[in-house]
Amino acid sequence: MAAVATCGTGAGSTRSIVATTSKNNVTSFQRKGPRASGTDSGCSRLVSIAGTRPSVRNGQLLVSTGLPALDQLLGGGLAVGTVLLIEEDKYNIYSSLLFKYFLAEGIINGHTLLVASAKEDPADILQELPAPLLDDNYKKDLDEDICNHQTPDSNIKMKIAWRYQLLPKMESGPVSSSRFGHYYDASKRMPRELIETSKWHGFFFPEKLSSTLNKEPCSLTHGYRRLLQFIQKVIYEEGFDGSNPQKKQKNILRIGIQNLGSPLWGDDICCTENCDNSHSLTKFLYVLRGLLRTSLSACIITMPTHLIQNRAIIARITNLSDTVVGLESFIGSERETNPLYKDYHGLIHIRQIPRLNNLIYDVSDVKDLAFKLKRKLFTIELPLQLKSHLGLI
Amino acid sequence: MESVLALGGLVLLRDSVEWEGRSLLKALVKKSALCGEQVHILGCEVSEDEFREGFDSGINGRLIYHDLFRDPLSWSRTGEALPGGPLGALQAMCRRTDPGPFTIALDSLSWLLLHLPCTAVCQALCALSHQHSRPGGSCPAEPVRVLGLLHEELHGPGPLGALSSLAQTEVTLSGALGQASAHILSRRPRQRPAHQTQWFSILPDFSLDLQGGPPLESQPHPDPHTPPVDPTARVTFNLHLSKKEKEAKDSLTLPFQFSSEKQQALLRPRPGQATSHIFYEPDAYDDLDQEDPDDDLDV
Repeated sequence: MAAVATCGTGAGSTRSIVATTSKNNVTSFQRKGPRASGTDSGCSRLVSIAGTRPSVRNGQLLVSTGLPALDQLLGGGLAVGTVLLIEEDKYNIYSSLLFKYFLAEGIINGHTLLVASAKEDPADILQELPAPLLDDNYKKDLDEDICNHQTPDSNIKMKIAWRYQLLPKMESGPVSSSRFGHYYDASKRMPRELIETSKWHGFFFPEKLSSTLNKEPCSLTHGYRRLLQFIQKVIYEEGFDGSNPQKKQKNILRIGIQNLGSPLWGDDICCTENCDNSHSLTKFLYVLRGLLRTSLSACIITMPTHLIQNRAIIARITNLSDTVVGLESFIGSERETNPLYKDYHGLIHIRQIPRLNNLIYDVSDVKDLAFKLKRKLFTIELPLQLKSHLGLI
Repeated sequence: MESVLALGGLVLLRDSVEWEGRSLLKALVKKSALCGEQVHILGCEVSEDEFREGFDSGINGRLIYHDLFRDPLSWSRTGEALPGGPLGALQAMCRRTDPGPFTIALDSLSWLLLHLPCTAVCQALCALSHQHSRPGGSCPAEPVRVLGLLHEELHGPGPLGALSSLAQTEVTLSGALGQASAHILSRRPRQRPAHQTQWFSILPDFSLDLQGGPPLESQPHPDPHTPPVDPTARVTFNLHLSKKEKEAKDSLTLPFQFSSEKQQALLRPRPGQATSHIFYEPDAYDDLDQEDPDDDLDV
């Protein structure tokens, strides 16, 4: 048939077009195979460090902060080589808890720790780390909690969007197969065996203070200079910057500095508004960031910014840190009795998220987040969620 | 008030011009001395005689007084003055070797803050309060207590904030109608801070008399501020349904609801029908020519 013939020639012509394209291999569809570019192979080499994973957005190597809710807010985790600055709440309860979660996560993953403090002995800090939650125990408690909080209305099945009932529930608890980010029980201590098998270095400033006799004048406060020298020594000797070739597998150094900027470090930015060496802390942060960027390490710093008298210094400190998270607890403030916040213990402000190898920020559009410390867990939520009595329709 | 002495660590007594705190300091010193503890006093603001006034001889014998008032700058060079000045005196107290419960009273912390850099004072106070965690020595269970008298009006928010963050207990003195009260804020480690207000008076022999409170009419009424905010009060949609409305809502069938009856009706084949049929009425212009369905052959 003529019609069939035209179809035939048409098919033939398309077949020939296909033939030409396959010969020239001009397609925009490229498969990512094992013989991909060098960065991919480099990335796969780094991923083999325990407790890290590449970011899904830009491939940056991330470590967990110890609090999966905070990891989610920061875009997957804390990037290796960056500083997480936590602005302390007034009575330093929740910021020290976040500090301990970070260190506990390091111990669980087998990272090396460096703990620096001017107030408490690092050995004491490590004794007080929270215990990791085993999955089956946690699931029992989570189910209990959910049953307690559920109102009778929420048992209504969905009528319009009934397809969503088939979807699995959003995981708010630990996934049993998660290797990145663990949950901790703040009421229990970490078992001593885990702490003793871990590798850690401690810097307790009052000890170092007593051992020096003469203080030579320099622009950095004495305490900061000693701390930087200590960090540099540990990074160099243990090979975190690649200087000494590491025979064993590469590892991450987790640095934790507590109460930086308080007068116990010898810095008086918390005491007066016009202090003599007001640039000491900013210089410290700058040098520290340089040390971190050239090594496989991540740092958490807690700072009592509510005591710093000069607001300009706070702005400089924020610019010099990578990720800045502020905690504001409701203890003693009028918000404690406000029914909007009655279930929560404080607000958490994400003040800054870094642009690492990026042109744009990864800023979440949710600004008003609140946290609460339930019996065992630290959760971060939107506080003004109207509960299920609105109905799911 | 017992909790003030029980916790140990740094106890800040913040007083002001209207409500002075030295008598409370002396009362606490007397209480510690009566418990059999060693009490060291660093006197800077008042003379030794004035401080010891009011204590009986038993208590006076237990107090070890370090006098900085008479010769603060060590001008007399007779060897009586404390070596190293105030900072030396504080550091000497840090290096004590004898065991046992220990109380240090600083009269006053304001004087030290005005004469020494704030960071040095903070570091010395921290070393004093954490003395029991000294390496190499046994950890005594008795707390080291440092009572510091601080005049609030002399300092800006910086030093006050720095010292508050170091203190385990803060006692702020105020009062109403001639009756003194102490607002006690105690910070146990890893726990929420606890507030307490205690009305008290100091008797002439410096013992503490705890009281209930001033007469009722003097107590300030809680001001009738706005009632607590209910977030569900003024929304534009109806959050609460009555029973009837709920029943009506439940019984409503939604338009696109795929109920099981509909599903069964579609799935079940209708009786007497194996396949589907198409019924077509040919039009006037239709030409059902199987060989030329499109009518485009030029035949």
